[in-house]
Amino acid sequence: MENSQDYVIEMLHITKEFPGIIANDDITLQLRRGEIHALLGENGAGKSTLMSVLFGLYQPEKGQILYNGKEVKINDPNDATALGIGMVHQHFKLVDVFTVLDNIILGAETVKHGFIQKAEARKKVEELSEKYGLHVDLDAKVEDITVGMQQRVEILKMLYRDNEILIFDEPTAVLTPQEIEELMTTMKGFAAEGKSILFISHKLNEILEVSDRVTVLRKGKYIGTINTAETNAQELSNMMVGRPVQLEVVKDEAKPTDVVLKTEHLTCPSHIHKNKKAVKDVSFELHKGEILCIAGIDGNGQTELVRAISGLDRKGVTGKIIINGEDVSGAPVDVHSKNMSHIPEDRHRHGLILDFTLENNMVLQRFKEPQFQTRGFINQKAVREYSDRLIEEYDVRSGQGSITIARSMSGGNQQKAILAREIDRDKEVILAVQPTRGLDVGAIESVHSRLVAERDKGKGVLLISLELDEVLSLSDRILVIYEGEIVADVKASEITAQELGLYMSGAKRMERKEA
Amino acid sequence: MKEKFFERKSVQSVTASIVSILIGLIIGAVVITIVGLSDSSLGIDSVKEGVSLIFAGLFSTGRNAAGTLTWGFNGQNFGNMLFRATPLIMTGLSVAFAYKTGLFNIGAPGQYLMGTMTSLMIALSLPSDRISPVIIWIIAFICAMLAGAVWGAIPGFFKAVLNTNEVIACIMTNWIAANLVTWLFDISNLKNEVESTKMGYIYKTTYNGVATAKLGLDKIFMGSQINAGIIVAILFAIAINIVINRTTFGYELRACGSNRQASEYAGLKSKRNIVFSMAIAGALSAAGAALYNLAGNTEFFWSTYQSLPAIGFNGIPVALLASTNPIGCIFSAIFMSMLDIAGLQLTNLTAYNEYISSVIVAVIVYLSAFSLVIRNMVVKVVNRKKEGGKK
Ligand SMILES: Nc1ncnc2c1ncn2[C@@H]1O[C@H](COP(=O)(O)OP(=O)(O)O)[C@@H](O)[C@H]1O
Ligand SMILES: [Mg+2]
Repeated sequence: MENSQDYVIEMLHITKEFPGIIANDDITLQLRRGEIHALLGENGAGKSTLMSVLFGLYQPEKGQILYNGKEVKINDPNDATALGIGMVHQHFKLVDVFTVLDNIILGAETVKHGFIQKAEARKKVEELSEKYGLHVDLDAKVEDITVGMQQRVEILKMLYRDNEILIFDEPTAVLTPQEIEELMTTMKGFAAEGKSILFISHKLNEILEVSDRVTVLRKGKYIGTINTAETNAQELSNMMVGRPVQLEVVKDEAKPTDVVLKTEHLTCPSHIHKNKKAVKDVSFELHKGEILCIAGIDGNGQTELVRAISGLDRKGVTGKIIINGEDVSGAPVDVHSKNMSHIPEDRHRHGLILDFTLENNMVLQRFKEPQFQTRGFINQKAVREYSDRLIEEYDVRSGQGSITIARSMSGGNQQKAILAREIDRDKEVILAVQPTRGLDVGAIESVHSRLVAERDKGKGVLLISLELDEVLSLSDRILVIYEGEIVADVKASEITAQELGLYMSGAKRMERKEA
Repeated sequence: MKEKFFERKSVQSVTASIVSILIGLIIGAVVITIVGLSDSSLGIDSVKEGVSLIFAGLFSTGRNAAGTLTWGFNGQNFGNMLFRATPLIMTGLSVAFAYKTGLFNIGAPGQYLMGTMTSLMIALSLPSDRISPVIIWIIAFICAMLAGAVWGAIPGFFKAVLNTNEVIACIMTNWIAANLVTWLFDISNLKNEVESTKMGYIYKTTYNGVATAKLGLDKIFMGSQINAGIIVAILFAIAINIVINRTTFGYELRACGSNRQASEYAGLKSKRNIVFSMAIAGALSAAGAALYNLAGNTEFFWSTYQSLPAIGFNGIPVALLASTNPIGCIFSAIFMSMLDIAGLQLTNLTAYNEYISSVIVAVIVYLSAFSLVIRNMVVKVVNRKKEGGKK
């Protein structure tokens, strides 16, 4: 029989409020020793908040936390560390200009006579990284390493502090499929050693693969805890969203018509190595009424291609870009965006001004239009009405509606806001770059159906995606990019995942007839 | 859901500023007490007088025949306070405006100097017997603003094009301005028309009739230097507040300051906007200089190129104390000038020296930099009260 001794951590009836929103409403979560416990919920369901409470970053208004059956008070992360709790945050907390080693030992330095014992620390870190196969370059600066390696640094930080309870807040959102595989293996290894793991994700297949039990939250409320072995993707997503969810994209056969976006021999310099080419002689045509996907493994020139097509990069770019019949090669962003919406890859860096209110973000490109201003003065009422309409129509959830500061919104709702803004601009071309990155199934469903609806209205959708599932289910036609070149041009219905994988990894290429 | 009074951001900012000011004043009072008690020539009665002057020097009217301090409305004090506040409001606005658009303008002293030089040179060299002094005043004022705009635009330009830090570029342009002003005054033919002292030069515009209109303010505040400049400064503050918060131009500048990449993505011209922001900031500082130097009853004493005008630097605490709110700058600048006046009263009426008031200003300057921290403390107290009320 199970008694409370089996639980290493129990969070009982936790309630945490923010202005205008109850982020956690009477939530109970019990973590067994040595298990991988998944925490599942839509964006904004309160998962990060609950974990921050456990890690001592927030104080709950109500509820208690038990550690090995005894009540404890976690006032700050130091208390959490003392209990052996470690956390990898959704947005990493590393010092960019420090080396990897310095980041790992920061705050837990061994000091002798006032000097940091780096050699000792290095040895310990090297042993840990060896033991768990967490490869990192200890002397590289954090700003120079990949996101995947940054995450391994965060994991090593926890191990270095001998943490036994490990919290992973959406660790897979930023990783490539290969890195995700590795992370899963690492986590299983930890659990086998007796470490207890809290794993946050909204990718159902990952949860099904790696976890022992799942706790589901919805809109700040506790829905239930079930054994992973006894459930399936459909049941989990229904619990999470609160209604039956369509996991597959529903769409009719595409009816492509005129060409609406065209590139001719587009060549772009690489961002990292200035004298190399990241995009090589790329020519393609996007038609009205189709979703064309550029598929490929991250870093094969997608970023540069997008920046050229959107007009952000002009230096060193050669070839032609024609949007809606107008040659925009070499023109600034506003000329490109005249006939094109752009859902950017990085919503924090490019998509939103995080310190602005939601309503001000909604009119980011449009505030100079006559409806929002009279003789240079912003028409605040019109902006508010417009923003309220988009919020309503696209179900953007936030604490205070139009006047919410964008920074305080959850990632999924930030993305919905961007989507609302871009789709409502009603342009001929929609450039959608990883539009569902980090989103939960409910939100993905709505993004997908919006894009399909726009296609059916006769828009041309250019989708850039790294996720095989999305590429195969959403697009009508697929171009595979490998090392800056288009190596395949196929109909989505005529290719399998395996074959696509071969093209993406460069193992296979297709001779293309000149466009 | 309606926010409670103390939960409003603006109320919290103002509370934080008032807390900073009170701490500054209390520390000043402590210094006065310590100095008073440790100096045999002062003693406990001087301490009482000193402390009361620090808090209420503005209302001091001198000493009566019996030798005790007298209190009441002092038009001269009030007028001079407003007069001194005028350029401070402008440099405060300059810093606040740049800050709202994501830039730290530490170049106000240099911009102020360029404004000083331009306004004086034009006012002194245009023939006031042929051109009406009012026209000269206007030309000098506008040219000063242009010179300040150019001077502010330079660091802005380097930031926009080469992505150099505007703080470093501003510090450099400050010293370039200092040397440039020395040199230009040195070689200018204005030399004959001004008094030259051993250490430097004194320029004034009184003799050729160029002076800011008084609009009867000197009748209200008898015996002070006040003129309509304070009204101009207040109008500038209101205008800047409207530009930042209500116009598409202000929106665009704020967007670029807050997230340059997102602004570029949205098709805004971020480089141009950075230059604009700094140019406007520069013009505001220089306008402050023009308002001061064209007053007609001021002197510009430029002894050496080894110092920069304090009014420029004081724009930073003025802006911070106002939480970079343009309207707030009016009040924080007036408050800083009030301390000046209190310091003068302290020197005139007691054996203390005026540097005590500098100490207080210094403390407030430091605290104003922490005004955000203090604001967070205010927020915490408010929240704790709220939770306590619920239980
Ligand atoms: N610091 C904060 N201030 C105000 N609201 C917040 C803050 N952090 C989170 N929220 C709100 O609380 C809710 C839950 O957020 P979060 O825990 O981040 O969700 P999840 O991690 O499940 O996506 C969201 O609606 C979010 O906007
Ligand atoms: Mg989260």
